[in-house]
Formats: sequence, C-alpha cells, structure tokens
Amino acid sequence: MRLANDHAGLRVGCIYEITASRAKSSTGLSRPGKNTKLRAADKVSAVLEPMKKEDINPADEKLGTLLRESRTFPALPPRFQQNVWRRIEDAEAPAKSESWLDALSALILRPRFALAAAAALVLAGSLFGALEGRQAVRHDAQMNYLASVAPHALR
Amino acid sequence: MNRSLVILLGALALAAAVFAGSYFTAQRATVMCCTKPADDLSWLRDEFHLSDTEMTRIRELHEGYLPQCAEMCAKIAAKKNELESILGGSTNLTAEAQSKLNEIAELRAQCQAQMLQHFVTVSQAMPPEQGRRYLAEMQQLTLGTNELMEQSMSGDTGHEPHH
Repeated sequence: MRLANDHAGLRVGCIYEITASRAKSSTGLSRPGKNTKLRAADKVSAVLEPMKKEDINPADEKLGTLLRESRTFPALPPRFQQNVWRRIEDAEAPAKSESWLDALSALILRPRFALAAAAALVLAGSLFGALEGRQAVRHDAQMNYLASVAPHALR
Repeated sequence: MNRSLVILLGALALAAAVFAGSYFTAQRATVMCCTKPADDLSWLRDEFHLSDTEMTRIRELHEGYLPQCAEMCAKIAAKKNELESILGGSTNLTAEAQSKLNEIAELRAQCQAQMLQHFVTVSQAMPPEQGRRYLAEMQQLTLGTNELMEQSMSGDTGHEPHH
C-alpha cells in the first residue's frame, strides 16, 4: 500500500512537472500570469499537489480519469506567442499619432519647428510690411507733387 | 474639443498675431523713416531716377511755375466766389451766373494748358525715356481725373431736378 501511495505520488509529481514544463515550452513565456490557459494548468496542479501527499487512492477510477484529463492541453491558437509579444510591445511603445491633425499638432509643439515658423512669419510680415510702407510713401510723395503742380480745382 | 484642434487653432491665431505685428511694425517704420514731407519733388527724384543736375533744372522750372499756378488758382477762386454770391441770392440760373461759369471754365482751361505746358517742359529736362513716362503719368493723373470728374458731373446734371 505504501508503495502504491509512493507510486501514486510519483505519478502526480510527474504530472505536475509535465504540466509545468509543457506550460513553459508551449508558450515560451516567463510570465505565467499573462495566459489564462497556463493559469488553468497551474490551478489543476495546485489542486493535485496536496492530493499527492495525503488523499490519493490509485484504485479510484474517477481520479484516474481526472488525472488523464489533466494531461491534455487544448491547442493554443495560431501565432499565439507572436500575438502576445506584439501586444506587449504595443503597450510599452509610446503613443502614436492617430490622424493628420495629431501629427500636425505634434509638429507644431516641437520647439525647433515653432522657432522656425515664428522666424519665418516675422520675416514675411516685415517684408510685406516694408513693401506696403514703401508703396504708401511713394503714393504720398506722388500726391504731394501732384497737389503742388495740379491743384484740385484743375483735376 | 479635440486637443489637437485646440493646439492647431491656437497656433494659427498666434501665427496671425505674429505676422500682423511684424507687418504693421515694418510698415509704420518704413513710412516714418522714408517720408520726406518738406520736399514736393522727392517723388520725381526717386521715381524717375534723376541726377542732381536734372533735379536742379527741374526745381527751377517748378519754382517758376508755382507763382503762375497760384495766380491762376487765385483767379479761379475769385470767380467761384462771385458765382456763389450770385447763386446765393437767386433760385434760377441767371445770365450773370452763366457768364461767371463760362469765365471759370475759361480760366480752368488756361490753367490746365499752363499745367500741361509745365509738364512738357519738365519732361524735356529728364532723360528721354523717363520724360515720356513722366508725361504719360502726369497726363493720366490730371486729365484722366478731370475726365472722371466731368463724367460724374454730367451724370449729376442729368439727375438734378431741384430748383
């Protein structure tokens, strides 16, 4: 009986080790909390672990069935590992601009761009203002001359 | 409101303010620094790129013309005063008022002829190309405006039923 118990403990221990190793090899992850299937396997193992010490009866057909069922793991969806890593990378990556408006506002907020734009605006404003002022001065001078040689009564 | 839109609108407003400030400051500064109110002939020098010799000759012509112009203008002003006094006392266009109008028109024609002769003389004191440009521009500025005034006056006369 003792042997049987030991044998049963050995089997359960094997199951636990197999469960853990398969969980690691199937996902390739070092973060067990991320995968619900891994968590399910851990729960099964956690349930089985105290049983190997005290309450395991190898003759119990139901227990045997349960143990056999516990060995089976449902297949992971295709590209599961890549998808997990992609989601992790997306979560850790800085937030990307979602539209042209966001991209433009991000560009505007860059100090280098803001300084360049301000300088260009000041330059363009000064240039156009100087040209307009020159035109106004020319027009005023023309009117002064015209007023001196051609009074309004003649025009 | 979307944060990006607020940033964009704020940046546009700021850009408009910066541009407008620069524009008006530069315009004001240019007007203040470049205006020469004391000299009526500064426009001629700048516009037609005249030398000092040409400017001296043109200044002589200008100063010789001004008294003649002032004399004609004084005669026109006197005739206009007489016309106003005649029109002020009557409700009809009398023969005397018609006579004054003719005198004023004759004085204006003489004055315009004198003015055009002055323009021709000044244009001859300039380099040929600049002279032609000056003459064309002065004729356009004086006679062109006069034609517009006459057209508007003729339009007003046609729609003046009040007596």
